[in-house]
Amino acid sequence: MKELTQKLKSKSIVENLGLLAVMAVLPIIFNASGFSYGITILVFICIYIVAVSGLDILFGYSGQISMGHAAFYAIGAYGSAMLSRYLNVPVILSMMIASIIAALVGALLAYPASKLVFHFLSLATIAFGEIVYQLVLQSPNGITGNAVGFPTKSISIFGFQFSSNFNVYFICMIFLLLFLIAKGNLVNSRVGRAFIAIRENSHAAEGMGINVRKYKIIAFATSAYFVAFAGGMYAHTVGYISPDTFTNKQSVMFVTMLLFGGTASKWGPVMGVVAVLILNELLRSMENMQMLVYGALLLVVILALPGGIFGVVKDLVNKISKKGAM
Amino acid sequence: MLKVDNVTLRFGGLVANSEVCMEVPDGKIVGLIGPNGAGKTTFFNIISGVYTPNEGKINFEGQEIQGKRPHQINELGIARTYQVINLFRKMTVVENVVVGMHTQLEQGFFSSLFKTKKEREEETKAFEKALELLEFVGLRHRAYETAGSLSYGEQRLLEICRGLASQPKLILLDEPAAGMNATEKVELDHLLQKILKKNIGILIIEHDMKLMMGVADYLYVLNYGKLLAEGVPSEIQKNPDVIAAYLGGE
Repeated sequence: MKELTQKLKSKSIVENLGLLAVMAVLPIIFNASGFSYGITILVFICIYIVAVSGLDILFGYSGQISMGHAAFYAIGAYGSAMLSRYLNVPVILSMMIASIIAALVGALLAYPASKLVFHFLSLATIAFGEIVYQLVLQSPNGITGNAVGFPTKSISIFGFQFSSNFNVYFICMIFLLLFLIAKGNLVNSRVGRAFIAIRENSHAAEGMGINVRKYKIIAFATSAYFVAFAGGMYAHTVGYISPDTFTNKQSVMFVTMLLFGGTASKWGPVMGVVAVLILNELLRSMENMQMLVYGALLLVVILALPGGIFGVVKDLVNKISKKGAM
Repeated sequence: MLKVDNVTLRFGGLVANSEVCMEVPDGKIVGLIGPNGAGKTTFFNIISGVYTPNEGKINFEGQEIQGKRPHQINELGIARTYQVINLFRKMTVVENVVVGMHTQLEQGFFSSLFKTKKEREEETKAFEKALELLEFVGLRHRAYETAGSLSYGEQRLLEICRGLASQPKLILLDEPAAGMNATEKVELDHLLQKILKKNIGILIIEHDMKLMMGVADYLYVLNYGKLLAEGVPSEIQKNPDVIAAYLGGE
């Protein structure tokens, strides 16, 4: 048994180092080839992976759908931007505080919502997403800048400004690794097993002494924290936020990325985000077709590849390793 | 250990259980039998907290437990298995057992998030313990397969194993032999004796009369939600009311 946990642990370390290596090399290549826009895409990949991994904790692991996660993204982005501008909270701290607020809001939403199952829960979360969007668009006294938008500060640590493309990417990469490690720790623990047990069979989970409601709330709050932090990363890297980033379309985007990559894994969100963002760039010239393509993609994945891209990759690897063993 | 006093449960006008009294003494196997639809599983659901009885009291180790939530009742020391197999199908066999240990483990959200030393130690111990338990029920060799891939009989064993993982004082088994072949039934018989030796009381619903007559120390018979008879197996076998309920007749 010890061997197995040891093996799993070293496998995850190797994976993380591999990811780190790829992420460190890519910007150098982009820089050398003069493709500096590539680094901007990498920054967005980091941001989206954090957000989609957060959604994965809720949907992939604990089996609760949310079609309103753009709301937490908005709370993170606007919360952090406003805390840093109005109250002069240092930027990274403001991101953490805004994420904690989002987690509390998530818990508050989950308390009644934990009784709802799939389609009712998705309706409730759509409504929640809409409420937050409207609040951002038509805030009291215009504190969010309403439709005009809201300028944000860049990330800084002890006065050092992360404003160049390269710097921003560096800090986002660190955030991404921290969140991926935290997610991995959480899902491989007593808490993570409780999430999965609830997804697999909530009656049996309750019968095994798991307080289903409590763990559903924990999953919601954790998920909200991840997504809100990603929102904060977004706000402080782009320098300017406006409500149209936080519409229902964004929530659908998160779900598309997750389903496309594959749920309940570390690599599913990573692959989903990378694939969808690259596709996004390819479709930039025909922006009005984007939603159509996403819709078609989602349909294909749900019907043909229930495990997403990662599921396909995993099957392939298993087949090859089996053949190798023979 | 467990004492049920005049428990009644109604679903609207339908009386599912009516004034049921029963007792499970320490270290005994008590059987609950009755025709289909007699309210046996409903009765299990009442004890394990899925339903709250309209009337009556359930006393477990000196504490009244009626109206408590299922997870609280598990924590007090009553584990259960299900008539319809309710495993966590996509988890591995050993993980299923570790989920069963939920109330025995202490690590919370933050120690899990940061994988503290304590958390890692507890995890290692929990998995070792789970493997021991799998050895105990004879599933050690399947530990790392997904629960859904086990045979029907093995899934039943895993349900029992998962129930034992919470270190219960009493385990409720709902038709554990259903779908088992003759060899598996003999093994189940042995397993029940081994569970008793661990000083865990057993309350069991089973249709297999041969198994029941062999293992149970005492039997209760339910019919139409009411207690029809009770006694040691040899008495029950001869009881004319019981025979009538099973075979029909006057």
